[in-house]
Formats: sequence, C-alpha cells, structure tokens
Amino acid sequence: MKRVLTVLFAMGFIVATLAGVSAAAYAVAGLAEKHLFPGASRLSNILFLMLVFVMIIATLLTIAERKWSALMQDRVGPNRARINLPGIRNRSLAGLPHILTDVLKMLTKEDFIPGTANRFLFKLGPILAFAPVFALFAVVPAGPSVTVFGHHVDMVVATPDFGVLYLLAIASLAVYGTALAGWSSNNKFALLGGVRASSQMISYEVALGLSLVGLFMAFSSLQLPPLVGELGLDGAQATGQAQYLWRTDGAFDFGLPAWGFILQPIGFIGFFVASFAETKRAPFDVPEGESEIIGYFVEYSGMKFGMFMISEFVEVVVLAGVTTALFFGGHHLPFGGEWLASQPLMQEHGWLYGTLLATVFWVKVVFLIWVQLVIRWTFPRFRYDQIQSLGWKILLPLGLANVFVTGALVLWDPSLRALAVVGMLEIGVLVVLTMTKKEEAAEGGAHGAHGAHGHDHGHDAHGLPAHASATSSH
Amino acid sequence: MADSHTFDAKGHNPDTDGSLPPEGSELEAHLQSKHMVINMGPSHPATHGTVRLKVELDGETIVKIDPEIGFLHRGFQKSCENVTWTQCLPYTDRLNYLSAMMNNFGFLNAVEKLIGLEIPERAQYIRVIGSELHRLTDHLTCVGATGLEMGGFAPFLYGMEARELLQDRVTELTGARLTTSFGRVGGINRDLPEGWADKVHKTLTRTEELLVEMDGLLTRNRIFVDRTKNTGVISAEDAIDYGWTGPALRACGIDHDLRKAHPYWVYERFNFSVAVGEHGDNYDRYLVRMEEMRQSISIIRQALETIPAGPIIVDDWRIALPPKPEVYGTIEGVMAHFKLVMEGIQVPPGECYDATEASNGELGWYLVSDGRGRPYKVHVRAPGFPVLAAVPHIIEGKMLADLIPTFDTINMIGGEVEQ
Repeated sequence: MKRVLTVLFAMGFIVATLAGVSAAAYAVAGLAEKHLFPGASRLSNILFLMLVFVMIIATLLTIAERKWSALMQDRVGPNRARINLPGIRNRSLAGLPHILTDVLKMLTKEDFIPGTANRFLFKLGPILAFAPVFALFAVVPAGPSVTVFGHHVDMVVATPDFGVLYLLAIASLAVYGTALAGWSSNNKFALLGGVRASSQMISYEVALGLSLVGLFMAFSSLQLPPLVGELGLDGAQATGQAQYLWRTDGAFDFGLPAWGFILQPIGFIGFFVASFAETKRAPFDVPEGESEIIGYFVEYSGMKFGMFMISEFVEVVVLAGVTTALFFGGHHLPFGGEWLASQPLMQEHGWLYGTLLATVFWVKVVFLIWVQLVIRWTFPRFRYDQIQSLGWKILLPLGLANVFVTGALVLWDPSLRALAVVGMLEIGVLVVLTMTKKEEAAEGGAHGAHGAHGHDHGHDAHGLPAHASATSSH
Repeated sequence: MADSHTFDAKGHNPDTDGSLPPEGSELEAHLQSKHMVINMGPSHPATHGTVRLKVELDGETIVKIDPEIGFLHRGFQKSCENVTWTQCLPYTDRLNYLSAMMNNFGFLNAVEKLIGLEIPERAQYIRVIGSELHRLTDHLTCVGATGLEMGGFAPFLYGMEARELLQDRVTELTGARLTTSFGRVGGINRDLPEGWADKVHKTLTRTEELLVEMDGLLTRNRIFVDRTKNTGVISAEDAIDYGWTGPALRACGIDHDLRKAHPYWVYERFNFSVAVGEHGDNYDRYLVRMEEMRQSISIIRQALETIPAGPIIVDDWRIALPPKPEVYGTIEGVMAHFKLVMEGIQVPPGECYDATEASNGELGWYLVSDGRGRPYKVHVRAPGFPVLAAVPHIIEGKMLADLIPTFDTINMIGGEVEQ
C-alpha cells in the first residue's frame, strides 16, 4: 500500500514538475523575445528543451530504470545512498542520491586509456556517440506556438525544411561513436562489439526511414510541426494529427483523432522497433551483450564510459519524443483540444495554454519511456544474425508493403478515413495474433516436456512486433 | 614478418598460401582475413565457474573451441584418501556446490553399498527430500542463469527468490546453505526440525508460483525460443557416445533416469514422471529442467506426506556414533565413540561402483577400501565432465552467441568437473 501511494505521489510530482518547467520555458522564451532580438526564444528553447528536459529526464532515467526493473523483479532497488543532513539522514529518498554518487564515482575514477589504443580516436568515440543523439531533439516540437508577453513563441529549436531527414541523418552519425570506440580500444571483444553495432545500426537505418514514408504521404510533409498539425480554429481546416477522422458536432469536440499510430500501425511498429535497435538496448543490445562479448566500451572507464551510458538514456528520451510527435499526436489532446483552445481564459493567457499542452506532450513522452523500460526488462537478447533477419527480412518488406498500401489508400480517399479503417484492422489483427498465442500456450504447457516442440505453430512472422504493440496499446 | 605482406608470386607466403589467386588475376584476390582467437574466461560472465574457453572465430562463427579446465582443481581424490570415510563428506560438498546434499547422499550410499548396509526407512525419506530440494535449487540456478545470460534479468531473479527460500529450508535442515555435509554413513545425523514440513510446503507453493512466472517469461518468448531452439543440438547417439546422462541426455529423447531405471532409497514409492525431450537442443534441455522441477516439487510433497516415524540412523556402534548419554555414561559408548572418531568406520576390503541421479546426471562413485578406516581410492564420475567434453562437437561451426545458451543449458559445474 505504501509502495502504491509512493508511486502515485511520484507520478503526480512528475506531472507537476513537467508543468512547472514547461511554464518556465514559455515564460523565459517570451521574455527573451521581448528583451532580446526576434527569434531569441529559439535560443532559450535550446536551453530548456535539450539541456533541461532531455538531459534531466535522461539523468533521472538512470534511477527510474533501476527502480522500475526492481519493481518488475521483486526487488527494492537502489536505496543505500543517503544524504547526511538532519531530517533526511535516514531516508532513502527513493534512491535519488544514487544519481549523485554515480556521477561522483564516474568523475573520480581513473581515466584509463589502454597503452595500445589509438588515443585520439579513443577519446573521440564517446563524444561522437553522445553529441548526435543530443542534437536530435532540435527538430521535435514540444508544445504549441502561442503568444507570450505579446510575442510569438514556438516550443521548438529549429524547423528546417528537411525536418525528419535531419533526424535520420543525425541518428546515423551515432554509429561512428560506437564503431570508433570498438576499433580504437584495440581489444578483440570491443572490436566484435563495434562491428556488431555498426552492422546493426546500418541495417536498421533502412527500415527506420522506410517506416516513416507512409506518414509523410498521409500528411504530405517532412517537417515535424506540420506532421503534428494545427487545430482547426475559427472555421479553419485542422491539419496534421490535430484533425479528426470522425467527430461529434458541438462545442466540445470529441472523436477519433488522426494520430499516426491509428493511420500507420505497421509504420509505428516498424519505426519503434527500428529506433529501439538504434538505441542498442535490450532486446537489441548485441553490441553490448555483456555475457558474450562484454561490449564495445569494455576498455572505457570513468566519465568516458558514463558518456556512452548517458547517451543511451538520452536516446531513450529522444526516441520517446520523436515517436510522440510522429505517432501520438505530439502535444495535442486526444479530444477536446479545440474546445480548450477556444476558452477565453486560454486565449487570453497564451503561456497557460502552452504550458497545459506542453505538459500533455511530456506526459506522453514519459509514458513511451515507460513502455521502453518494460520492453527492455521483459525480453532477452537477440542473436546477432536474428537481428539482421528481423531488420532485412521482416521490417523492410513490411515497410515497403506499407508504403504501397498507404499510397493507394491516400490516393483513393484523401480524408484519410480509409487509411484509418485499414490501420485499425491491422491493429485488430495484431491484437488477435497476440491473444491466440496465449491460448495456444496454455494448452502447450499442459503436455510439457514430452511434446517439447508441439506448440510451434502460431509463431508467425511478426511475433515480436505484435507483442510490442500489445504492450504499447494499453 | 614484414616481407610476407609484399607480393611475391614465387616466394612462400604463409598468409596467402592455399588461397593464391590464379596467374594474372591479382584483382580478383580474396580479402585476406585471419581467424581471431579470443579467451572466454577464466574470468568471464558466461563461464559460471572458472573455465577458460579458447575460441577461434571467423567473424562471428566459431571455428574451433578448446575448453580448458583445472582452475578449480582441489585434489579431491587425494584429499579423500587421507581422511576417514566420514571426513570425506565436506569434500563432497564442493563437488557440485549447487546441490551439495546430492553429493553427500550419493557418496554415503556408495559407502553403505560397500559395507552392505540397509539404512532406516525414515533416513531414506529424508535423503529423498534433501536430494529433491537441492535438485530444485540446482535447476533454478541453471534456468535462471540461462535467462540472465541471454539478457533476461527478471527470470534469473525470480529463480533466485525461489532458490533463497529453498536455501532457507535447507539451512534449517542441515545448518548450512551450500556446504551441507549432511547425512552420515548409516543414515542421517539429524532429524527434520519441528514444523519444517509446513514451511517446506509453503516454500514449494511460492516456488510453483515463481516457476509459472519464469515459464511465462521464457518458454513462449519468441526471442528466447529463437535463440535456444535448434542451437546446441546433439543427437542421441552422440550424446550416449560422449557419456551424457541426466537432463541433457533426456533432452535428446533417451528415457534414462536412475531414479526409475535403478530405483534407490524409496524413489519407487513416489508417483512422478521422467521428463524427456526430443531434439537435444538448448530449448529441450531447458524444458526438461523446468519439468523436472515440477516433478521434484511433487516428490517432496509426497515424501513429506508419507514419511514414517522411526530411527534416522542404524543402531550399530561400529558405524554410527553412539547416543551421547551412552558416550558419557558407559565405557562401551566411550570406546565406540573413540574408535569411530580416531580410526573411522571399518569398511570391509573391496571395491564398488554406485551411482545416483544427481541434478546434472549420473553421479557415480568408484570406491576401493583396503579395510583400514580410510578410503584407498575415491573416484567420482562427475556428470558434468562428459557433457563439457562434447561442447566442441556441438558448437564448432555455430555462432559465438550460441555458445552462451549451450554452455548454460548443459550446466557444467566447475567444482565437480575439476574436482
């Protein structure tokens, strides 16, 4: 009971903090526009979105992951580090002091470089692994554009025309970090890890890009803000994921929003799996594979290793953010968005409206991060060649088929409704596949050891994606 | 070696010999690649004990593997020759340290066979209960570690929770978690503690729950199945040729379990079935172990229900220590005690081979006695040794990642292999 209360309190606290920081981000952006030059809000957004939000969430994730895995595994999780101050001396503070101790540990450890390593490339590795993932978030809109202190403020760092292509381009740079780390260490295990990482990340690039093509066609844009969309206010037509496929009439808008995962379930699963593989976390952690080859960073110590670790967590946050913007309606509410935007209070105080919707965005991000944690702690590791065949033989053909089906459906019905119907059918099929597998499993277990391989049918081509979708859809 | 890289069509070049391109087609020459030799172990996360695997890799494919044992060699056989029969017990603990009681009881059973001794019924029941408890802990560790080394941490910790509970029961019974040194020649040295049976029932219920969870996380997990099915395959004929026994052999489809084939103690009184696989791959070995755990739980429950009252050790002062009041009160008691402690049990001269079904297979004992109080020879047929010997046969030509589940599911235990 105490644990449940703690979890509920923590959830409320997280939402309140997200709202608070969002409000601060809008306020600072507004002040920057007012007192500095036009466009200064983009600079403050760099500070808030990339340093405050992404970095702090990634840092907290180190504890969140340990706490959540502990919850899944009947453990308590980190609770030993204490702060020696009156009042909190005997409290574990939910393990938060461990962040401090981890940082201290990494900073004070010996910064060891193997004698035979290439020193320059060895030092370059962590930087190349860390910097690109950090830069990824620049194009993700984290909140609506509103008017603060009489100035127009966007909650996004940059809106280049090539939008998502920037994401794909920068994401593929991260492979250099891991490949260099593996090669320059001059360690056989690290080399194996580096080679595994390169081949895995390169083969998933294709599926990653291809899975998004359907979405581009549906919304006719490559930029993230148009993909997220604008609400249809004052008689204007709603765009992007803000539009409704079907809606009720009346002041309070309610209906089925045109969110990406409804229009493009295959695209969503393909993107999620492929980007999961890019983050190199379980079940795609073969480059690390600590029980086989220890990993491409085996020779790194101290903060250099910390850079690899934290870049993994940053990737998790960025992946959740990008997925939210592309497939979960970005900062839009599932219903009632137009009603909220037309309230006089919201129209008067732009920062309040912005804060509310930015909080919605970050709550979705936190939810998707949680989904990733659940997946990470549920599945064992793939084998190296199985990852390749998942990427090339399953995700790639699925993505290609998806492109053609989506193209035909968008041409046939530009209102996207046909696409949504097909999408929901696909979701239904995936759910049914997951469910039937469970029933078969029940009878498979009954004749246990004798018919060892009796329950093999029912594993179809997309067994794993079906599982992933089931986890993420409730 | 520098000149070996310069191209010289007539000269001897060890790097390119055998793959030299035909005359005039230099451009079509294959990329020269060398095999990479890596050391898995002796200190490596996947080698449970301390085993060194010299692995020669061509890319990710294992060309050659050479298991090197001996890091845990303690001189078990020689040590046993220098102590009395009873004092051998602590040495047997360290053979398969995950299931010490099975080693204890197996050794005692062999000694009793050499003497020609029948132990009391209650002692036989307690030996069955102890053995099956430790079969559970051993299999839990094996299955949990299989999950862990494939990246699934949760099944490992579920297994560890069940194992800790069982270790607590073992501690209450024997006084030690791992090195139990339980049982004596002629029976058992202490009876079941009061209220212990109820606790065991409770622990088994929890273990069953945890097994369901492990089963749910692994058995039908697509990734786990992909990684274990059709990997580490050995045919039944090869397995028999190598001398495999136990779960690893049964996974090949051979229905051979000493508890059924040559029932010892009171195993024939219990209703249990032998889990048999089909394909001899990692997945079947995993399934066999899971099923054996369920059968073990059933055996323990049956044994606790039907255990009779009575003595737990033979009433023969030449073999078992006399009760303490006799030692302190009578001269015969003191003398028997002194003779047993100082000279050991006078096992008649002769030799015998006896085997019990330990968690990883046939744990055999070849004992020779020369009639003094000490063993003349103690040889252990460790089930892990032939299993490990077959690893190169199984894994050569397969992928490096297949080595991990294979090494896990054959469950080679350093302590008994290296003695």
